[in-house]
Amino acid sequence: MAKDDDKEQTLGEVLRQQGVSRRGFLKFCATTASLMALPPSMVPAIAKALDKAPRPSVIYLSFQECTGCAESLTRSHSPTLESLMFNAISLDYQETLQAAAGTAAEAALHDAMKKFHGKYLLLVDGSIPVKDDGVYSTIAGKTNLQIMKEAAEGAAAVVAVGTCSAFGGIPKANPNPTGAVSVGDLMKSGQIATKPLINVSGCPPIPVVITGVLAHYLTFGEVPALDVHGRPKVFFGETIHDRCYRRPFYDQGKFAKTFDDEGARSGWCLYELGCKGPTTYNACATTKWNGGVSFPVESGHGCLGCSEPDFWDKGSFYAPLSTGHWGTAEGIAAAAAAGAAIGIGAAAMSRRHQDTISKEE
Amino acid sequence: MDLLTFARGPALQWSVAIFFLGVLWRLFGVFLLRRKKDYSKPRSTHLWRGAIKGLIVHLWPYKEFRPKVVQSYILGYIFHIGLAIVVFFFVPHILFIKNIIGVGWGGLPNSFIYITGAVTIAALVAMLVKRIANPVTRLLSNFDDYFSWFVTIAPVVTGLMAAAHWGGRYEHVLAVHILSFELLLVWFPFSKLMHTFFFVVSRGTTGALFERRGTSA
Amino acid sequence: MSGLSDIGVKVEGDSEPEDGPTTRIGNALPILHEIETYLTRLTQGGEPATIDLRAMPLAPGDYETLQRLLGEGEVSATIDALGPTRVRETAVRGVWWVTHHGATDEVVAEFIEITRIPTILQTVDEDLVDGLLRLRDCLAQEGQAASD
Repeated sequence: MAKDDDKEQTLGEVLRQQGVSRRGFLKFCATTASLMALPPSMVPAIAKALDKAPRPSVIYLSFQECTGCAESLTRSHSPTLESLMFNAISLDYQETLQAAAGTAAEAALHDAMKKFHGKYLLLVDGSIPVKDDGVYSTIAGKTNLQIMKEAAEGAAAVVAVGTCSAFGGIPKANPNPTGAVSVGDLMKSGQIATKPLINVSGCPPIPVVITGVLAHYLTFGEVPALDVHGRPKVFFGETIHDRCYRRPFYDQGKFAKTFDDEGARSGWCLYELGCKGPTTYNACATTKWNGGVSFPVESGHGCLGCSEPDFWDKGSFYAPLSTGHWGTAEGIAAAAAAGAAIGIGAAAMSRRHQDTISKEE
Repeated sequence: MDLLTFARGPALQWSVAIFFLGVLWRLFGVFLLRRKKDYSKPRSTHLWRGAIKGLIVHLWPYKEFRPKVVQSYILGYIFHIGLAIVVFFFVPHILFIKNIIGVGWGGLPNSFIYITGAVTIAALVAMLVKRIANPVTRLLSNFDDYFSWFVTIAPVVTGLMAAAHWGGRYEHVLAVHILSFELLLVWFPFSKLMHTFFFVVSRGTTGALFERRGTSA
Repeated sequence: MSGLSDIGVKVEGDSEPEDGPTTRIGNALPILHEIETYLTRLTQGGEPATIDLRAMPLAPGDYETLQRLLGEGEVSATIDALGPTRVRETAVRGVWWVTHHGATDEVVAEFIEITRIPTILQTVDEDLVDGLLRLRDCLAQEGQAASD
């Protein structure tokens, strides 16, 4: 990991020390601005800010996760720019990427937390199980909950990377056997310290979104504008549907009926095949994946809604958004039968009443 | 559970169940009532012909009444037809129905639906204004009249709001739209909205009776 | 068991006609209009402008359409900084296409600059000073060597 004495240098100094030319630095800033969806006119300001920014220490904790988010992060950009990002920050702890293991790794974690107490950026990956005192996920004998509690104490801000840490994700899906909760849940219930929290959801999040959020924090030293779910508005402000290039087909009423039918091959809207684009907020339709190559809809599959809370429990991925759980045919037949019975009863009562009246006369 | 999941889940199940229960209750309850015996001599026995004639004749007001009521008829047709177009030819709605009855059909372009929805709302508002402005209808109107109007216009308004992304986060407006439809479902069987099923029998029966008595329809 | 050959494949691209679907759904024409606005402003003494191609949804085909319509000009340059950056003036003078590549040549950012010369091509003041010092060192060394 990075050397200790680098920490007091500014980012600009570190980059120049690594032989990055000013043009290289400008390229880095332009790319970062594009990442953060900031207008190109802001590049000079960003260059100035990044040049003078101090290097924050970053601790990355992985809990109940599949490591997809860490994989996504390491796919962001070219190795050069990515390693720039990782050298720009001082990644003091990351289990998948670090060379140290065992007690040496744990020592590194505790040293970093102690030295930069109150100043480090905490990245959290994976949900935290709390059932049965959190025994379902432990590292070095400590439960995730305990580690999270300790780490949150000294964090300047927390970034929940991926839907699992942001909203609970797969582990939280029905019936949630481990009692998995999100970072936000833990803060709300007071089980960990409350710190500024950025939720970068997605299963996994788009790589450049993760690095874009980091870049924002580096440049401006603060949390970006967040939506109601704590996600950066710049990436999660719009739905897939609103920026989908297939939108004109939706508007014209041209829908693919099955996978690979004529409509599907012509690139028609995938609403009937279960696309959850209208209710999913993410940057997939604009930023796309794999360096802008494509995203699920463009590859012919409807959006799963993976950046939304509880997306695993919202019904089939292949049922259109406008369908719902209307019950069963048997249930409706039962309700209809009950109604008929009441109706017959009411009519019978009315007829008997008529008989009674006419008999009285 | 968030609002949209609730609207598409338990709320939908209950409202659909209540709708079916209520409609069958009303249908059985009304059609099993006794009918008054008609002891007069029938002038004609072709009662079915009379029933059909009754249905057709009531589609447009009698010449004598036209000046007073034709406006209401026109507005009524506009909003009924507009509502039918929006409900049965907007593709997400078709998919909703197809999910239940297993059969779907082709839809119309969204922009056409949106315009029709706006026209439907305009007609409904005009009808409410007429109802309140006229002292007689204002006197006669009850809760059923006003609330039925409300549960009819609410889904159209919230539907357009959702389509326009106006009024809050899309998933919330969509949830409110679905809930407003569920409100209509629940109110339907116990209100004047049952005219949907009854009007055919009422008009047909009137026609049949007229035929029996030999009056011109 | 059905194989890969059973999956339908639709080939696009080569078969597109020359006067292809520019007017189809897509953002190519709106972007061109935006460029036209900026270029007009530049000719009237206004500021240069930059359009981030990553910031807008490009439908498949938009990118190629833009390239085709803007064409290729007479200037091209490659900058070697953190991977190659390719700069080329389009056939519309004053409109430059800047593509930033990473070390393994994948595209990391792409801009269209409406300017007399893209910023990244220019030499900044600090670099001038560095260059001057380097040259002076070089001269000093050569001078030493000559006088030896």
